Amino acid sequence: MSTPFAPAGVDYAESRLHELRKTRMVMVDGNLTANSETTEGGSSARVFEKGYWGFASTPAMDDDAIQKVAKKATENARTMCRFGAQPSLDLPKESHQGEYGYNGRPPISQSEAIDLLESLNAHCREKYPTLKSASFMMQQENHEKRLATSNGSAGLSTINRSAFYIIFSAEDKDGRPVELMEAISGRGNLSDLQLSMDGLEARMDELHGHLMAKCNAVAPRGGKQTVIIAPPLAGMLAHEAMGHPCEADLVLGGAVTGNLVGKPVASELVTMVDLANTYQGEELMIPVYIDDEGTEAKDVTLIDKGILKSFMSSRETAARLGIPATGSARAYTFNDEPLVRMRNTAILPGHSKLEDMIAGVEDGYYLLQTGNGQADSTTEFMFGITLAYEIKNGKIGNAIKDTTVSGTAIDMLKTVDAVSDDMHWECNGYCGKKQPMVVSLGGPALRAQIHLGGE
Amino acid sequence: MMSTDVNSTAEMALAEMSKAGFDEAQVSVSVSEQDELNINHNEPSLLRSTEDYAISLTGIVDGRKAAMALTDISPHAIESGIAELIERARIAPRDDANAVSENQVGHFEQGPLAADLDLLALKVEELLHFRSRETPKMQLEEGAASHRISRECVMTSGGSKLGCTVGAYSLSVMGTAIDGDASSSFNYTGGTANDLSQAHASELFAIGEMMRDTEQQIHTRSIPAKFVGDVILAPTAVRDLLGWLLGQLQDFSLIADNSLYKDRVGEQIASDKLTIRSHFDAPGHAPYTGDAFLAPALTLLDAGRLTCLVPSYYASRKTGLPHTPASSGWQIEPGPTERSAMISDIKQGALVNRLSMGSPAANGDFSGVIKNSFYIEGGNLSGALSETMIAGNMANMLGDIVAVSKEHLDQGGTDFPWISVSGLNFS
Repeated sequence: MSTPFAPAGVDYAESRLHELRKTRMVMVDGNLTANSETTEGGSSARVFEKGYWGFASTPAMDDDAIQKVAKKATENARTMCRFGAQPSLDLPKESHQGEYGYNGRPPISQSEAIDLLESLNAHCREKYPTLKSASFMMQQENHEKRLATSNGSAGLSTINRSAFYIIFSAEDKDGRPVELMEAISGRGNLSDLQLSMDGLEARMDELHGHLMAKCNAVAPRGGKQTVIIAPPLAGMLAHEAMGHPCEADLVLGGAVTGNLVGKPVASELVTMVDLANTYQGEELMIPVYIDDEGTEAKDVTLIDKGILKSFMSSRETAARLGIPATGSARAYTFNDEPLVRMRNTAILPGHSKLEDMIAGVEDGYYLLQTGNGQADSTTEFMFGITLAYEIKNGKIGNAIKDTTVSGTAIDMLKTVDAVSDDMHWECNGYCGKKQPMVVSLGGPALRAQIHLGGE
Repeated sequence: MMSTDVNSTAEMALAEMSKAGFDEAQVSVSVSEQDELNINHNEPSLLRSTEDYAISLTGIVDGRKAAMALTDISPHAIESGIAELIERARIAPRDDANAVSENQVGHFEQGPLAADLDLLALKVEELLHFRSRETPKMQLEEGAASHRISRECVMTSGGSKLGCTVGAYSLSVMGTAIDGDASSSFNYTGGTANDLSQAHASELFAIGEMMRDTEQQIHTRSIPAKFVGDVILAPTAVRDLLGWLLGQLQDFSLIADNSLYKDRVGEQIASDKLTIRSHFDAPGHAPYTGDAFLAPALTLLDAGRLTCLVPSYYASRKTGLPHTPASSGWQIEPGPTERSAMISDIKQGALVNRLSMGSPAANGDFSGVIKNSFYIEGGNLSGALSETMIAGNMANMLGDIVAVSKEHLDQGGTDFPWISVSGLNFS
């Protein structure tokens, strides 16, 4: 990689070199249906001049390419002046310098990966004869970015995350397909997930048990229900329901959170944060030390004991809202401009024991797994539930069929009456917002009232 | 950059793959340029110019396959990539279903091959003037007018040579309507076309209608009680129904033997009101597949009868199912019913513009929140809905279609009418 240099003579500029490597292998019932590696790299420049932005990118990282995109981005910002004068906007001027690499385990070799996939497939064929299909997917992506800005920021940052998926399907008593997925994810390469047959056998036994229960699933009752939201779902809830509406660009776009700072939006038991890189002394799954605008990444407390506190921001959105820039501006590939994105978003643990929380539910549901989720500027959210059980008189009952939960976060979070003392982090999947983005989600279990789809 | 000779680069890479020892190979070289004028918070904000080039290499040796994609298309990078690729392929498990296409030849050109920045700026100005004049409560959080041109050459060792030079314009907006402290759900629409100059920006892809509707969705109501009723799916929501159906007819479901329709070709699987045709030559598209097969026009559902499955060449060889190449771009044939008549015919239900939900279950069961949607009572629209869910089964919905509208919305890759479906659970 060359060294980026930001165009001069403009109000603000940044230059970024960005390489992204991906590995993907998929085995469906013993067939290796995907076995690919992708490497994409390039340089980009973004310029702010007289209230307008210009951006340019090219898939090359030499000095000529860096100069070319700097010139084009400057031209583009100036071309925007055709729309007339803009009010002046002073972007925050803080700068940061630092190099943040990652020293993980040596990458898993392709032959080791294929051996593992074939062993897992053979194991499933032998141990789970009622299984109709077993699929496994391995994904790894490694980002390396070098950045320079016109106000003196310079940095190297790396994001490395891996995910391993197990997808089982069987048939219910009527011969209809039933499916479940388990995802294991973490920071670093696939080798850092420490996937071993012993460890995976236990995960597959558990997944198979849930699948068999789901083959006899009952329909949930639609409407408002008391639920225990398992930690992986609480992380999704944090991200979707309150995370997005606390992104400063969405606030500027009219998210209802804009008028709620200092007001209660959740139970006093709820504290929610977007962490930059570290939690309790441990580096998080998506560690961001310097963002793609050269701002030092800082933790953001979104909700403190139920009170809405602050928003995640870029330089521009910070200037527009009169708040500090939090180091949340990130771009997914070299040809993307930085947008306000979450990093490691979590509801922090409380003091309750999960088993006590379940025991305290007379008639409700235990929601364990989600497929995906979406949020709205109103804090209205939904997420698909792919694994859940009834709770009857404090005990786990029948599995229920796939459903969806929804609500308005600022109403639903006020119903939280217990937060467990454990914490689960994961970083599989992508957050979508014009560009995809790798993020991590964290949470304890929550007990709350939520709207459940069903009959 | 657009002067890069994609054909000679592909030829060179294919020759190198043969020299390296691959029995069969496929190479795809593409170059593209995009200019995108962005709106943020009701103002023109950013002009973005990107150029991209990439090479994709797929090699098979002794029935073993591996693939690689690179943005560095220099001869040295391609040579290194091929050396690594053959090592990766040799380690992969042997699979006799692996093969590349043979003797597929074609070149396709369409659309404007150069960006008209003045036109992009005009469309942005039209959108912003429309917003301030007609829908001032609508806050355009994001919007973009863009032009993209791409050239591609795909070659295989089996003698296939496919390529395209495609240019197209796109226009899109996303935002929320605000009235004091009250706010609508966010809403969005957009599309791709070969020409944006023929109509005002607000009239393209129903953008103006979406912005007007969103202003009507600031103040919402809930449904009075749970009920079983009808929905009219707007084209934007019809996409979810088609997406689920295509998933059932493609590789993963067919190889995993989870498809509800694997053995139902030739049978009636949907209402006879539903006819789905390909639109593989839609603006911005070219009629060939990623595995290098020409994709002739096809009718997927003919008056509700399933005519074929659409596995890739690999999935076809793996499962023994007939191979029907399918690229992207679909049309649903409009029906005889006016949208207004479809609304009049519904006693209780909703006009659904967006379904917010997880992936439907493997058996088609789903439940989702209906967004940007209006309650229908006694044949009349009666206010925007919030916090309302519908639940049903995708396969059943295909059979429960009661009307298809005369009106349709062409967004480029999709051209769909409004579709009325009975028997959904509202809660």
